[in-house]
Amino acid sequence: MLSARYRDLILYKTLADLRAEAARTYIGFLWWVLDPLIFMAIFYVVFGLLLKRSTPDFVPFLLIGLVSWRWFQNTITHSATSILGGQGLMQQVYVPKVVFPLVVILTDLVKFGVVLVILLVYLWAAGFSAGWSYLALPFLLITQFLLILGLTLLVSAIVPFVPDFKYLTEHALQILFYFSGIFFAGSSIPENYQIYFYLNPIANIIEAYRDILMYQKYPNWLALALIAALGLGISTSAYRWIQQNDHLYPKLMKR
Amino acid sequence: MSKQLALSLRNVGTFYWRQAGYLRKERFWALKDVSFDLYHGESLGVIGRNGAGKSTLLQVLAGILRPDQGELINHGVQAALLSLQIGFVPYLTGRQNALLSGMLIGLHRKEVIEKMGDIQSFSELGDFFDQPISTYSSGMKARLGFSVAFQLDPDVLLIDEVLGVGDSDFRRKSSEVMQDKIRSDKTIVLVSHSAKTIRNLCDRAVWIEEGVSRAYGDTAEVLGLYEEQLAVKS
Repeated sequence: MLSARYRDLILYKTLADLRAEAARTYIGFLWWVLDPLIFMAIFYVVFGLLLKRSTPDFVPFLLIGLVSWRWFQNTITHSATSILGGQGLMQQVYVPKVVFPLVVILTDLVKFGVVLVILLVYLWAAGFSAGWSYLALPFLLITQFLLILGLTLLVSAIVPFVPDFKYLTEHALQILFYFSGIFFAGSSIPENYQIYFYLNPIANIIEAYRDILMYQKYPNWLALALIAALGLGISTSAYRWIQQNDHLYPKLMKR
Repeated sequence: MSKQLALSLRNVGTFYWRQAGYLRKERFWALKDVSFDLYHGESLGVIGRNGAGKSTLLQVLAGILRPDQGELINHGVQAALLSLQIGFVPYLTGRQNALLSGMLIGLHRKEVIEKMGDIQSFSELGDFFDQPISTYSSGMKARLGFSVAFQLDPDVLLIDEVLGVGDSDFRRKSSEVMQDKIRSDKTIVLVSHSAKTIRNLCDRAVWIEEGVSRAYGDTAEVLGLYEEQLAVKS
């Protein structure tokens, strides 16, 4: 575990980065809301209007998928170069390298929080009221967080050693995006492919959000428990690996 | 002067990885064989030409790099590099940057907040202290950077070349407080390629050449050897 000093540093650096990001543009933190809204609007036009998906309640269906996906994708891509980008700093002061991705993870967690609140307000306004199924929401959020934490730490640990891994990750995410059921339901694909579809943790997570938020159903607990265990496993091993190889990162810098 | 050991280096070597063509990295030994002792209360000068490994040596002493061979023995001290403008974020105010930078160089959040008054007055930034540093001139940034870094008071302070910074008046002021600090009882390692600076400020000196400690001991003696060798080469 990191000492209290570094935990303080992570929290303050997160706050500083959020402040700086808000101060950098005219409308500041409104971009955290506008950015996903614009993204969603594009998908709504393409898949909701032009391609006329037959899924009922397609707008909330799509929004839930996109909000969850964006949290996952943004955190991983933003933090891919976090340790690499900290090279200048780590040449001058000792900082545990794991601090760098953790700051990005927290920053994106806050931004996701803002978007999630807006999504919930929209769903309530659209007639999808909160029910007992909401009790499963914290567990689902923790599950997705653990998965993001693990994959993010893993990617940011590898990129300084193999910079090309950043591009591999971006392409992998691009492919995963189309196979995660963001604009289609798992039940709508041919049955003999469904087993492969549900091997994708993100597909399960997105479906669980829809179960909870739209259909007032409890999610597939077993699937979520497995994903949470997987996320926790990757998180702890990646965290330990970064800590153990902490002294190697400053060596990669000079060419 | 009490002769209590602070840090000891025994045949220390450190390498970097550098890119050697496509998909290949090779080891570059920035330090090969460095040995000396640092005692409490002394000011030790490190002299050597550019690229001799002086800055890498400070990184090893600061715990940023681990020795890959030989041994660094820490006799229970905390050593830190004097680092200016660490982690500055352009869109934040001077005060916010002082807190962030102070925490990065090794202070606790509370300590920085306690010292905020000193930082503000030393930096002479006045009202600008609460303005984003993107509105600062480079001289103002240097003033803020120095005022924060100077608050750090580790057992062993490591200084890489910089004594005074900023525009002329502040340069004089910062250089003076720095020199006072070096001449005080503080344990200091000062890196410089200027023999004059080291002669003025240091009790003892180490001469580093191509990653190897060539001479170590009394300042006048070490500098004599260093200058002799410079004269031969030129």
